Amino acid sequence: MFTRLTFLLVLLVLPNTVSAQTLEGYHTYDALTRQVNALVAGHPGLATAESIGTTLEGREVWLVTIGNRQGTPLKERPAVLVAANLEGNQLVGSELSLEAIRYLLESYATDADVKARLDESAFYFIPRVNPDGAERAFARVQTGSPFNASDYDDDNDARMNEDGPEDLNGDGLITVMRVPDPKGDYMIDPDESRLMKKADASEGEAGTHTIYWEGRDSDGDGFYNDDGDGGVDINRNFQHEYPYYEAGAGIHMASERESRAVLDFVIANRNVAVMLVYGASDNLVTAPNDKGELSPAKGLDLWSFADASVAGARDVGVFQTQTRGFGRFGGFGQQGNQGGGGGRGGGTRPATTVDRGDLAYFKAVSDGYKETTGLEGVPPIRKPEGALFQYGYYQYGVPAFSTPGWAPTVAADTSASEGGRDAPGAAAPAAAAPGRGAGGRGAGGASASADAALLKWMDANDIDGFAEWSSYDHPELGAVEIGGFKPYQAVNPPASMIAELGPKQGGFVAHLATLFADVQIAEAEVISEGGGIFRIKAEIENAGFLPTSTAQGVRSRSVRPTMVQLDIEPEALLSGSAKTSFLQATDGSGRRQSFEWIIQGTRGESVELRVVSQKGGSDTRTLRLQ
Amino acid sequence: MMPVSIETVTPRFRAAMKHAFLFALAALFLAPLVFAPAATAQQASDPQHKVQIDFNRWHDYDELKVDLLRLEKAYPEFLTYSTLGKSYGGRDIMLMTVNNPKTGDEMDKAAMYIEANVHGNEIQGAEVSLYTVWYLMENYGKIDMITRLVDERVFYIVPTVNPDGRQYFFEDTGSGARTGHVPVDSDNDGLYDEDGPDDLNGNGVFDTIRKFVPGEGTHRISHDDRRMLEPVPAGEKGDWVILGREGIDNDGDGRVNEDGPGGYDPNRNWASDWQPNYIQGGAMDYPFQLPTARAVNDFLVSHPNIAGVQSYHNSGGMILRGPGAEWQGRYPREDIQLYDTLGENGERMLPYYDYIVIWSGLYTVHGGFIDWTNDGLGIVSFSNELWAGGQYYNSPDLKAQQADPDSPIAGQRGSYFFDDFLEFGDQYVEWESFEHPQYGTVEMGGWKKMRGRVPPRFMNEELSHRNMAFSLYQADEMPLMKMGATRVEKVGGDVYRVRVDVENTKLTPTITARAAENQVVDPDLLTLAGRNVEVISAGWVQSKHMPGATDLIDQHDLSRILVRNGHPGHTTRTVEYLVRGSGEVTIGYSSKKGGSASTQVRLR
Repeated sequence: MFTRLTFLLVLLVLPNTVSAQTLEGYHTYDALTRQVNALVAGHPGLATAESIGTTLEGREVWLVTIGNRQGTPLKERPAVLVAANLEGNQLVGSELSLEAIRYLLESYATDADVKARLDESAFYFIPRVNPDGAERAFARVQTGSPFNASDYDDDNDARMNEDGPEDLNGDGLITVMRVPDPKGDYMIDPDESRLMKKADASEGEAGTHTIYWEGRDSDGDGFYNDDGDGGVDINRNFQHEYPYYEAGAGIHMASERESRAVLDFVIANRNVAVMLVYGASDNLVTAPNDKGELSPAKGLDLWSFADASVAGARDVGVFQTQTRGFGRFGGFGQQGNQGGGGGRGGGTRPATTVDRGDLAYFKAVSDGYKETTGLEGVPPIRKPEGALFQYGYYQYGVPAFSTPGWAPTVAADTSASEGGRDAPGAAAPAAAAPGRGAGGRGAGGASASADAALLKWMDANDIDGFAEWSSYDHPELGAVEIGGFKPYQAVNPPASMIAELGPKQGGFVAHLATLFADVQIAEAEVISEGGGIFRIKAEIENAGFLPTSTAQGVRSRSVRPTMVQLDIEPEALLSGSAKTSFLQATDGSGRRQSFEWIIQGTRGESVELRVVSQKGGSDTRTLRLQ
Repeated sequence: MMPVSIETVTPRFRAAMKHAFLFALAALFLAPLVFAPAATAQQASDPQHKVQIDFNRWHDYDELKVDLLRLEKAYPEFLTYSTLGKSYGGRDIMLMTVNNPKTGDEMDKAAMYIEANVHGNEIQGAEVSLYTVWYLMENYGKIDMITRLVDERVFYIVPTVNPDGRQYFFEDTGSGARTGHVPVDSDNDGLYDEDGPDDLNGNGVFDTIRKFVPGEGTHRISHDDRRMLEPVPAGEKGDWVILGREGIDNDGDGRVNEDGPGGYDPNRNWASDWQPNYIQGGAMDYPFQLPTARAVNDFLVSHPNIAGVQSYHNSGGMILRGPGAEWQGRYPREDIQLYDTLGENGERMLPYYDYIVIWSGLYTVHGGFIDWTNDGLGIVSFSNELWAGGQYYNSPDLKAQQADPDSPIAGQRGSYFFDDFLEFGDQYVEWESFEHPQYGTVEMGGWKKMRGRVPPRFMNEELSHRNMAFSLYQADEMPLMKMGATRVEKVGGDVYRVRVDVENTKLTPTITARAAENQVVDPDLLTLAGRNVEVISAGWVQSKHMPGATDLIDQHDLSRILVRNGHPGHTTRTVEYLVRGSGEVTIGYSSKKGGSASTQVRLR
């Protein structure tokens, strides 16, 4: 009922939404733009929208800034940054962001906690960082590409975008082809005939199939679909653990307009104290482990098998030099001038695991996330190389989180449907997937492939996310079958689930804003020592939950130390603390630091003491010398 | 291709002479021009320079631009002045393109990119750059090798990548102004560049400040020379402390000179092995965040014909190559051999310079310019550290004297001796007393900014010429593709065996091994085209002088063969095709960095 109502509303509100497969309810760029403007227009004084960048195809990267304009200027308040849809195919993040914006704005009048957050903090939402990539979801043929519109010669053959996939069977989807091939590496999964698995020789299994992306070998190089349109996956284009020289990562770090728009924004707004990114990585459902490592990536096998079919395209044309009799260089194994002795190399390596000092905070936020959203699983996730949230923690120095924002979890053992008033089919599925999973992989256990788990969830919830295999007479490969996961349905839940997921994410965003460091001058007193000499004592306190800087923020020198400054002439300072002091980090929950100055002054004169924290606000106190 | 010269004009002139009327006009109007060269030829000085530029002085930003424009005006057929963009301070990043359009399209010729002065205080590279433009033009048509180089190659020359830093160095008296001038809050107080050095005594120099603190200092005045401060030996106390550069507490925070202009390193903002500030100081927040780095990179990326890079720095007398950090790993063997050959010959052209690897011979650099151009753009790249202190006393005798502790030129004394007798005291500022608002009574004085990192002015022309010579050598050894001998054999029916020699006549490969690994350069293409021709097979001949197997090329499209790792230097490869068909066949080889070549054969 609710689902149908949402659907009708969507049709009314979004006349331009293309009805491509089951993507109804997801916002096109134009619809998103209207939605952003409508939300902002409905809440004057609380929200504004502006563009922070324009894409290659001329779309704007929208920023929605939320916070009560009365009071402390927003730039001086601690802020949450929410960014989504960096991978063009991760549309769900855009929807969750819009819903979170709606939640915050609409709860302002009714929820005192939310009101307090909007009065004291700032929220920056970038609901769609990669609008050019996202728009491909609404094209006539859905490729599922995560890329933006930049050109990239994926197969490095000096031709651009000349061999993309084709929708051979005309179903509007790019899926995969499984082709009978005695030299193939793959076989039909005996547990689930819709899925494929790699044949394991040690188990006596023989490969029977090769797997390709759907399409022809348009450039005749023997590889199928090895150079499609674009581009760059914005969530692989940032500076931490950047995957150099890999397709999809761009020609260098921060090479793209979209990534630079985000970077320039956060660099100019260092009051951003927490980042939340909706995307294909997770550190919220599973917090970093005790070594500070993230849970391992788990992608869809079927897609990685198809990717593997074009891996060799970039190796073609490497020739051993025919230098016998001609070459100038002899002496194989010659080392040449390598530098070597007396090396001054080494040096500090960049951190790649969450600092011990920060782990507890990551775990606490993870607990809060699970409690607020009820999510306990994740869809297929990947290794976050060059991901924005990793930049946010390791280089920008703030607690930074990533979540897909939804989970294709089948409530197998426990009832995960708490508060699931609108969860479609949430009650039914426990028994809906019998038989499968008994074949050794374990029901819903960690050892099951992401493919099996996803398929099970789709079946259980009656989601049309898998194109059944169908025969096709391929002009180059002969008889093949085309089918597999639908490109967007495998990474996005049905839009009907957004209404339930969205407010919970909104609640989590509001929760993040309760955690900020909060610096205050807890106590300050002036003691006259006679003869125009005064002793000033002050206690600086962090009354918030988070420290004024993460340990990584201190190490990376990216979080400005908390400045404590007594506004006197330098000559008036006689002894004690410096006129200007810096505190690297102060833990929260009431931790204090003491200061003491002995100055020369005139009775009755006023002296101002200020404390300024980049991530934890500021405080001032005017002290009268007496 | 012929250089433009009097020969190409004369026949036309003769044709004109057939027409009396025109001849009369010519006589009337052209006579002074025709006879003008004869008049100058009577001068005996050698050589005759069309454009006079001084290379025994330093050019500020405006003067550089004026001289580049003079050169462009004098040699419009070869020179094009343009800009890559603007600095933060709104100054142009000047580019001079040297190209002879009569010998082919700019993008089809290998190009040498030469830049300098990315660090604001490393000024003399701009003079080397200016000298290079000037020398190429003044000697075109006079020295065969220069003529050939200008005809075969393109030169992109950027005399100063950091015009703000250069101008600051000249105007604002400061030494050590390595940074660019994008404001940075170096002291974390929320204010930008608000407390830099100040010329308190107005003498045009940022002096050193020293204070007399009897029995409590770290330094003493040397017995050898009263101008010299030296650290006291461990366990002793001196009478002086050094309090840093001339300046006051401008922002009233109780500290002196803690937030000067800029505060980053413009040569750490590049995209290979870029590391954040805590690993690499001065790196900024992301690669190409600096407008100057972005402008230069946009130019390099849009000019894949660039096959050689030189970035002039100072000082120390070094011919540097990457990698900048040990953890980047070694270059591939073939690349090392190439660099070694170029670098070791460079050492022979540049006395007192050492060819070294950055991380092992100098220090670790992350995100440096030549790491990016080598690894990310596939360009053979050097960075010369111009001027070596050893050149002050450049004979074996004087070297020996310097090693003798009793000599008047031993150690630090040599600096004063050189200044006294060769620069007549021009580089030294006498210590003078000064009342400092924060430090009390101090003395200010010491060396001027031109001492140390830049050569004495009278030695700069030699520095410019020798470094240019190294860059011209590198430019000459950029790849150059030619087609050699062809052979067509009828095999039977309409099937032919076609053999073609493909040659790179220079030392540098069309694609370096590192570029091939990273796949950052388009692959070379070996193409075959004919109206009625079908390729049956293609392969590399193992030896054209011995019978034997051919290495068949396993690619689907044999009329467009990808050569992903390029064509090695000084190498001839023979390609063998089996083709079916008739008529004319064109075999071509094209590369981004070594130009293109093609040849025709007829099947019969």
